[in-house]
Amino acid sequence: MQFGIFSVGDVTPDPTTGRTPTEHERIKAMIAIAEKAEEVGLDVFATGEHHNPPFVPSSPTTMLGYLAAKTQKLILSTATTLITTNDPVKIAEDFAMLQHIADGWVDLMLGRGNTGPVYPWFGQDIRNGIPLSLENYDLLRRLWTEDVVDWQGKFRSPLQSFTATPRPLDGVAPFVWHGSIRSPEIAEQAAYYGDGFFHNNIFWPMSHTRQMIELYRNRFEHYGHGDADQAIVGLGGQAFIRKNSQDAVNEFRPYFDHAPVYGGGPSLEDFSRQTPLTVGSPQQVIERTLSFRDYAGDYQRQLFLMDHAGLPLKTVLEQLDLLGEEVVPVLRKEFAALRPAHVPAGPTHASLLAAQSAKNEANAQELTV
Amino acid sequence: MTRIAVLSAGLSNPSSTRLLADRLTDRVVGRLSTGSPDGDDTQGGVRVDVIEVRELAHPLADNLLTGFPSGALEAAIEAVRAADALIVVSPVFAASYSGLFKMFFDVLEPDLLRGKPVLLAATAGTARHSLVLEHALRPLFAYLGATTVPTAVFAASEDWGSAAAGGPSLNDRIDRAATELAALLAPVPAVSGTDHADRARPHRWGSADGFEHPVEFTDLLRSVQA
Repeated sequence: MQFGIFSVGDVTPDPTTGRTPTEHERIKAMIAIAEKAEEVGLDVFATGEHHNPPFVPSSPTTMLGYLAAKTQKLILSTATTLITTNDPVKIAEDFAMLQHIADGWVDLMLGRGNTGPVYPWFGQDIRNGIPLSLENYDLLRRLWTEDVVDWQGKFRSPLQSFTATPRPLDGVAPFVWHGSIRSPEIAEQAAYYGDGFFHNNIFWPMSHTRQMIELYRNRFEHYGHGDADQAIVGLGGQAFIRKNSQDAVNEFRPYFDHAPVYGGGPSLEDFSRQTPLTVGSPQQVIERTLSFRDYAGDYQRQLFLMDHAGLPLKTVLEQLDLLGEEVVPVLRKEFAALRPAHVPAGPTHASLLAAQSAKNEANAQELTV
Repeated sequence: MTRIAVLSAGLSNPSSTRLLADRLTDRVVGRLSTGSPDGDDTQGGVRVDVIEVRELAHPLADNLLTGFPSGALEAAIEAVRAADALIVVSPVFAASYSGLFKMFFDVLEPDLLRGKPVLLAATAGTARHSLVLEHALRPLFAYLGATTVPTAVFAASEDWGSAAAGGPSLNDRIDRAATELAALLAPVPAVSGTDHADRARPHRWGSADGFEHPVEFTDLLRSVQA
């Protein structure tokens, strides 16, 4: 199982000091956080994509390209890449390039974003959100798997004899996760292609997450990619950890109460009951995270949201120490012990390459027989 | 069994809004009832769920901020979903329904009320506000796709103490509205070809339909081009 962090990249005032970091400070902080993730033994760093203040990460592959040079075995990913308003041709090129630079330590998560005006800013119509996701991804996939593509669709100019360069590393496209909170079509899409499905699992009650994952797993089996419990599931989650649980609550409360997403709404206690948010000791975070398996089944990737709501960099780095040293090692052991042998591990370039070689070998044998 | 959800948005206790809601409910149940008591929460084949919006004020504010209903609010929304008809009563605030009343309908998922019979009612200190029913409540429920009962019932403070003053009394109006709602709930023969009509309806992107009736992905992709 893979563990990591995902960042929204928000520039938010620290409610305890009133200080707002500059964009430059926030961007450098995201890089420091990603490097720290590898240092403490995490597997994945994923950045969001936004095109409006107060968010900084508008250009994910620029940031991930830098990180590719600074990290060894950290999977560089996104949460999410906007499949609606980006040109799928440019996504194919940018991420294939990144894949080469990072020696394969790259995957990406596709989503539709959270900001309505991004559609018109990029010449699209929000009412086409899901149709854009379906058509753009169908093209993106072809650009990676077919060397020469003739294509015509509804949303983009046609392509004749087009070859996206560079070709994916070793002929293996980056692994794709499809992220959605509540649109059944996106679970259907992930299932149809046999790709991964990710639920952010942060803002909504667990019952919603369960409904989406059940649909994805059942349809994964329906489309013949394997049994439902072999589908590739990723989950988000958010935690704030201190050795002593009351210290965690006291320290996090002002950040929760003023957080752009839920500030002014339910209490920290109510929201912790209603959603997967866990504020407490390492043991509490371990137990809560293990309980995700009750509704998601054996899954492949767990990403935590750790750097948001104005938490200062120093605090976030301390959080990552606790996550990497006290939480994740236990989770790795416990999840591994629970996972049946026929359930696949989290996808990597190496595992995809091995699967492709095995398939080619099988085909070759079939030909010789 | 027929299920009626009654939504009362009065703020005081006792509340004349709730009083009007109760009168309407009694009369509607009377019209629909088969006469035999058959359980704790049903009378004569009618089950009534009363929603006091005041008790949901905090969950409603939370829902607007977080995007999901919690606890008692979730139960109230389920009662509305399961109801065959609604009785809704709001006090008049600033020439319209109260903000709290509107919040409840703001958090319902689209189409939850589509086709549901709804009896509209309002209360105020004076009869000068009575057109709020026609100028504020009825357009709201038209937008939500509900089937509103022709007679909407307005009760000003004076109505509780006076018999008819040159028109039908409050009780007469309650009776007429209840009769109209009951008529809307009378069994109608099933329309043949409904299944076909459903299938002919274009796919609604992002709707909850996809959970219960998954659509083949190749059909979804093809419909993008349509």
